Amino acid sequence: MLNVNELEQRWKRYKIKSFIPYIIISISLIIIFIIIFLFVSKEEPVLKHNDASINPKIKETKTLNFKPSTKIQDVTDVQKQEDATKKKLTFTPSYNFVQNIQDEKETQTITKPISKKPVIIQEDRNIPTEILPEPTITPIQPLKVQEPEEKDNTINITRKTTKTDISEVIKRFNKSNNPALSLFIAKKYYELGEYRKSYNYALITNEINNDIESSWIIFAKSLVMLGEKDQAIETLQKYIKHSNSNRATALLDRIKSGKFK
Amino acid sequence: MSISIFQNSKNVFLDTVHAKDYIQLDRVSTIYQSLKDSIKKPLKMVLLYGKPGTGKSMFLTKLYHDLSSSQSVYLYKTPILDDSEFFKTLAQDIFSVHYRGELNFTQFMKIVNNTELNTVPVILLDEAQLYSPELMEKIRLLSDTRTIKFVITLHKTEKEDLIAKEHFQTRIWESIELENSSAEELKIYIQKKLMKANCFDTANMFNSKSVKLIHKLTNGNYRDTNKLLYTMFDIYTIYLNNQNLPINTNKVSNKIIEMAAIHTGLINA
Repeated sequence: MLNVNELEQRWKRYKIKSFIPYIIISISLIIIFIIIFLFVSKEEPVLKHNDASINPKIKETKTLNFKPSTKIQDVTDVQKQEDATKKKLTFTPSYNFVQNIQDEKETQTITKPISKKPVIIQEDRNIPTEILPEPTITPIQPLKVQEPEEKDNTINITRKTTKTDISEVIKRFNKSNNPALSLFIAKKYYELGEYRKSYNYALITNEINNDIESSWIIFAKSLVMLGEKDQAIETLQKYIKHSNSNRATALLDRIKSGKFK
Repeated sequence: MSISIFQNSKNVFLDTVHAKDYIQLDRVSTIYQSLKDSIKKPLKMVLLYGKPGTGKSMFLTKLYHDLSSSQSVYLYKTPILDDSEFFKTLAQDIFSVHYRGELNFTQFMKIVNNTELNTVPVILLDEAQLYSPELMEKIRLLSDTRTIKFVITLHKTEKEDLIAKEHFQTRIWESIELENSSAEELKIYIQKKLMKANCFDTANMFNSKSVKLIHKLTNGNYRDTNKLLYTMFDIYTIYLNNQNLPINTNKVSNKIIEMAAIHTGLINA
């Protein structure tokens, strides 16, 4: 006679065994799903981090807003950074401010003394709002000056002056060999006081395109800063002869008179 | 449903070969008819081959049952492996010659040549793969005399195919292959078998789904199906005897089929 109980036990084991492949497939799918989920969720913090790195700059921008009414704003932190890099803030609605730093006379700049006290900034209606032609459209700019809204007449300035940003632009320049980028790098190095580098990049720009006025200006200015005043004068004279550039002439006069230091 | 019905159903699937148990299926009937027709033709030999459990023995038994009333037919279900014994048996059955001592092939051929028969006797040899190649060669020579017809069954294996090719290729008038049943044929087979034994209730328990499972487990092999269903009804009987074990008798349970398959070794669990 058959032992039905024992047979039932064997049948149960068989059924469990026959379900194992399905269980394995299900578990595998779940594991794959979890891995994908974890992978996706790992991506998210990176984005958040990026946001976090951007946000303080946006906040910083807010602190530098200029409104028609007189406002008291604490710009000490900003000024500290400026002092460290011996940088001059240019208040222009365009991010092409870099061009403006070449000649203090050409563009209106505000150099703020270090002050621990809150600075009282009054509205200056004479801040030039002229948008200079952009050398190139680049997504990453060291300093972004937003157009003031007509309603509240506010100027938003975005700053990005770290060396990392420059290296990023250098990478892009190495790929594209765009003279606008090398000129930008030269200007940035000039701003940071690295005159040898600014000299080099002005020279590189000039090799690519020798008709860019700014590259001659930066080149001459870098030479002066490096103690090569005579060579700077000689270079500018050659360029003025060739192009009749007013900016170059003005700079030459200033160098000769010793006003440019 | 009473226990006796399951008991009777179980006995229906006892693995025995009786002509009365032969189940007429469309395809099988066609094959059987062609076998019967080939007997009537002036053939030397008919080869019936197929995998074990495809119904070769049943065919031979049925053929013997059908022909025995009209002509001289001799069925040897068990192979006679000794040459002398084989020829002595044939001499006694066909020619009614009782030979004492050893009877070799030459002596038997003398008997064959010296005796005149009204009809050509038909010798049905089951499990012919068990005969030695030498004896098979003698059977071939005997069939060449056209005094005796042979219908032999062989298991379909590589070796047996070889025997068929080497020894009988030029002499076989007809070879018939038997195959496993399809799922539809198996359903008809099971239900006809049960209804033949008046087990209508259990016959109705089989639906296409359960038969498909049986077919999957047995691959349509009649012998395996008989074994499986015998055990299955045995399990049903035990379940019905034991009131503590719940059982549904409206349809065949897949669980019981699988349990029977485990017991018979069709499922390796």
